Amino acid sequence: MKFPTDENVIVGLNRADDAGVYRVSEDLALIQTVDFFTPVVDDPYAFGQIAAANALSDVYAMGGTPKTAMNLVAFPAKDMGLEILRSILEGGIDKIKEADVVLIGGHSIEDKELKYGLSVTGFIHPNAVLTKKNLKAGDCLVLTKPIGTGIINTAIKAAMAPEDLIQEVTRIMATLNRGAAETMKGFDVHACTDITGFGLLGHLTEMMDGSGMHVKLFSDRVPVIRDTLFFAAMGLIPGGAHKNRDFFKKRVEFSGSVELVLQDVLFDPQTSGGLLISLDAVKGPALIDELRNANITSATIIGEVASDGREILSVL
Amino acid sequence: MKEIDARGLACPAPVLQTRAALQEAKPAAVKVRVDNPASQQNVKRFLESQGFETVLENEGEDYLVIGRFKEAPMPGEAAIHKKESQAKKILVMCTADRMGSGDDILGKKLMINLIRTLKEMGPDLWRLVLVNNGVKLAIEGSEVLEDLKSLEQDGLKILVCGTCLNYFKLLEKKRVGETTNMLDIVTAMQLADKVINL
Repeated sequence: MKFPTDENVIVGLNRADDAGVYRVSEDLALIQTVDFFTPVVDDPYAFGQIAAANALSDVYAMGGTPKTAMNLVAFPAKDMGLEILRSILEGGIDKIKEADVVLIGGHSIEDKELKYGLSVTGFIHPNAVLTKKNLKAGDCLVLTKPIGTGIINTAIKAAMAPEDLIQEVTRIMATLNRGAAETMKGFDVHACTDITGFGLLGHLTEMMDGSGMHVKLFSDRVPVIRDTLFFAAMGLIPGGAHKNRDFFKKRVEFSGSVELVLQDVLFDPQTSGGLLISLDAVKGPALIDELRNANITSATIIGEVASDGREILSVL
Repeated sequence: MKEIDARGLACPAPVLQTRAALQEAKPAAVKVRVDNPASQQNVKRFLESQGFETVLENEGEDYLVIGRFKEAPMPGEAAIHKKESQAKKILVMCTADRMGSGDDILGKKLMINLIRTLKEMGPDLWRLVLVNNGVKLAIEGSEVLEDLKSLEQDGLKILVCGTCLNYFKLLEKKRVGETTNMLDIVTAMQLADKVINL
């Protein structure tokens, strides 16, 4: 397909990234993104928070600052009370406020299945745009949130997740990537993306694709939400994880010690996952310190980028 | 053989239906019929977590998982697979970073020696669980870090108590093993053939 474009498109569909970027002037570019989905948790307020945090995340992943947002709502008004919609929107608004973003409009339709999300516009300097494609040899990879939300959400659907775990995973998904994005601005970051539907290994493969680099993931260092491995071993794995494995497995090489259950977790699709940041390994520990000082307590160095002639993702 | 038809159900329903069937009766063998490969993989994982060995088959549009309880007699193929799991499952539980009570310097030396000798258990060594002061063996600067890493590379699963790491503010200093919770530890103790408490 041929997409309409012009010379001010910095990031468009020809090199799909987390969001589109359009140059307005020499020192200003717009970041635009839209994201919405069906509920992942039962609590409508929490769902609103999660959907908004997820939509805002794409701007953070590009290194930008979100400025304006618009609501996107599909609501089954015949089957659901409007107080549910009100709670969802309140959850969204609270996250929008927390991000210092303004809500300037929106659109709603009636639909059989409830959906909510945001269209978000952000600002960035045209020279400061961070894409997912720019891994460099000698980089380390930093992940800012634990993974496992897809599996825990499946356990919630199976009514097997205890209440405190539901609260914990809700808190993780509703956490803005703002703190991580602001912290990384002080560092010379080479590439960044956010972890969502393709799972950690899918998004890592995307970063690696075309780089010529050998990416090594230390699977034992990846922060994983508690009980995720337990539920994965029980087969409470979302269909998306299996799809991710089928789609990306040719690019991934597992060492013998990485058990199947952990592989499943690494392919688990995430909702409102953390940022995955690539920067010079020498600066890695300092970034981790600052992230942890900013209360991003799960931030961990999970891998390295090497140049040895092979473009492959090794999971050790 | 107990047959379960979970066609037309989305994840995680086929796993839950299989689980309910196993809770009702403890069959030696089950055949679960689903209509998509993701559910087939999930049911396979569930049955394996419950001590079954599984074979996957396709029948027309259907995906089958056939599970046989491991302790039950198994003919042919399944018996060959059994061999791999014939190693005893020994779980070693370290609740301290030193061995025994009395002299602490001696105790630390003994613990280093013990960790370095653990590999003599061969494939029977199945889990190493580090709790309380034991988690200090797995952190940056530990004298046995390299030994633990090499045991892990050989396939030993090292479970490090997350609550303990957190308590000692050592979460980020952990360099080997998997941060774990009490449920994992209790499950591992239950599955183990032998638990050695240090």
